Amino acid sequence: MLRTDEILSTIQMLHAESLDVRTVTLALNLDDCAAPSMDSLCRKLREKITGRASRLVETCNKVGRKYGIPIVNKRLAITPASHLLAGHGQAAALAVAKTLDEATAACGIDLVGGFSALVHKGITPADACVMRSLPEVLSQTKRVCASINVATTKAGVNMDAIGEMGRIILEIAAATAAQKGFGCAKLVVFANIPEDNPFMAGAYVGEGEPEAAVNIGVSGPNVVVSALRRRLASGKKLTLNELAEEIKLTSFRVTRVGELVGREVADELGIAFGIVDLSLAPTPKVGDSVGEILKTLGIAQIGAPGSTAAVAMLTDAVKKGGAFASSSVGGMSGAFIPVSEDEVLDNAVTKGWLSLEKLEAMTSVCSVGLDMIAIPGNTPAETIAAIIADEATIGVVNNKTTGVRLIPVPGAKVGDRVEYGGLFGGATIMEVRNSGASADFVNHGGRIPAPIQSLRN
Amino acid sequence: MKTQFPNAYVLNVLTGDHPGIIAAITRSVNQRGGNIDACSQTVVEGFFTLIMVISFAKPVEPDSLATEIRGDQATDFQVVARKFVSPVVKPVTAVDRFVLTAFGKDKPGIVRRFSEYLAGKDINILDLFAHREGDDFLLIGQVEIPAARDLALLQADLEQIAAEEAFTVKLQHENIFVATNQLRFER
Repeated sequence: MLRTDEILSTIQMLHAESLDVRTVTLALNLDDCAAPSMDSLCRKLREKITGRASRLVETCNKVGRKYGIPIVNKRLAITPASHLLAGHGQAAALAVAKTLDEATAACGIDLVGGFSALVHKGITPADACVMRSLPEVLSQTKRVCASINVATTKAGVNMDAIGEMGRIILEIAAATAAQKGFGCAKLVVFANIPEDNPFMAGAYVGEGEPEAAVNIGVSGPNVVVSALRRRLASGKKLTLNELAEEIKLTSFRVTRVGELVGREVADELGIAFGIVDLSLAPTPKVGDSVGEILKTLGIAQIGAPGSTAAVAMLTDAVKKGGAFASSSVGGMSGAFIPVSEDEVLDNAVTKGWLSLEKLEAMTSVCSVGLDMIAIPGNTPAETIAAIIADEATIGVVNNKTTGVRLIPVPGAKVGDRVEYGGLFGGATIMEVRNSGASADFVNHGGRIPAPIQSLRN
Repeated sequence: MKTQFPNAYVLNVLTGDHPGIIAAITRSVNQRGGNIDACSQTVVEGFFTLIMVISFAKPVEPDSLATEIRGDQATDFQVVARKFVSPVVKPVTAVDRFVLTAFGKDKPGIVRRFSEYLAGKDINILDLFAHREGDDFLLIGQVEIPAARDLALLQADLEQIAAEEAFTVKLQHENIFVATNQLRFER
């Protein structure tokens, strides 16, 4: 028999501390939909998506009901759209994106990721087609999310691609100016993009992945906060290693929820179970915040000295607990610090405690990168590119994934507020210091060579 | 169950909890040459209760066995003994284990309401825990649900009952509790 305290602690975690499965992402290879005619390509896309994904939502609801855990998002990740667009022109890109949008809507799926190109070593015509279509695609579709991988530890940093992305991000912001540049929230520029990431906007299906798989992203910041507060409330003086142990135990439990749900959804759909991404994903809801975890650990103002150490400790403890809980850990697996989606981080920016530079330092030890940060709309393209280059280099040199999801809000200046609503939250426009001072560096173009640590053989 | 000796009895003990109860019972059984074949014991709000299957080489009279085990214990030390007969084995039907939790403001009839519903659906309660704290009442039942039952309908019915009683109820597969608390992934 289960013990009463075991039952009660799980009930507490699920129902009082907002634990949910943030996303069940169906990873689907669409390469076999490629066709010389656009009509044929779009028809094959529609048929394959509706054929393979039509039961996803119903299955997630059934499994969620069985275990009493909400599955917040049901998503689709696909092989890079650049594979489909080889040999087609830019007009085809929008047609493919609209087909993806419509087919996923027909299945009740929230978002589809993988309108992507991997250009870390060079840009093919199909990659260029994806990149240049982004302003149109992200402004004219609702569910389509994009990612561009501009750097890897093995290949170095493609500054030509980064320069181009600086310009494209401004064009996306302009194309979605009426939504305060929201199109940029559906694009991540990556270094070392993970091939099995279930989280949006960066989900896609990489080389070596199966035809179809179920990948899971869990939530859980509020669960970690509550567990830490319970320990601290004992009144006993706790060391950081004792607090790290508590995070590790909590991460174990959170990961198990993801694995249980993922395995069952995969079984029901008759496809492979892929991975659980251990990342703690915050929401704008009060308490469900990575920033709140750092506050609970004793950083009164996020951005203060110690913030980087605290987020490093958190990320490490999450990985250790999660790795023991599941033998199928993947994706990004760390702590997300998306500013607009995390109420405490957003507040720290508003109060002036948290700067872009400090966020950059924090991303060098946790997962993802500069995420959901609103900056002035007049930030030069070269400066946006240089921010991407800095962040990509952190990933390249440290053998980790980093990403940039910046929103240059048209017409907005430092200190203004923008609200995106829902899971995207709201943000105060952040200062970009030394704006315009990196143009010559970026305009050299070419590639920053792969670091010496790429030579491992 | 095959007991150590052919003459098996089931004992039920109820008393105020204190150290030495099990020692006293087992001493008495042992002195009569008996064997303990199975046992389960719990304490609820300071009251000790135990159910035990014991066996002897020669038959004994259940009432005298109970009297002997009670011995010179305090008057609240209640012992019932009866002959053990293996339960009739029911035809095996596929079942799945779930955990029902219900909590809300306490009032008479809550356990009856939920347990009558479960009984009506042929759902067996394997383990039941209930606790009153202040004005609040918590009920946890570990139950076996016939596989043929529609879970969504059961959950909807239970939620309807809970709404009528101003309670919150959850019916969840046990593996969510196993996975989050134990090293193994599922039972």
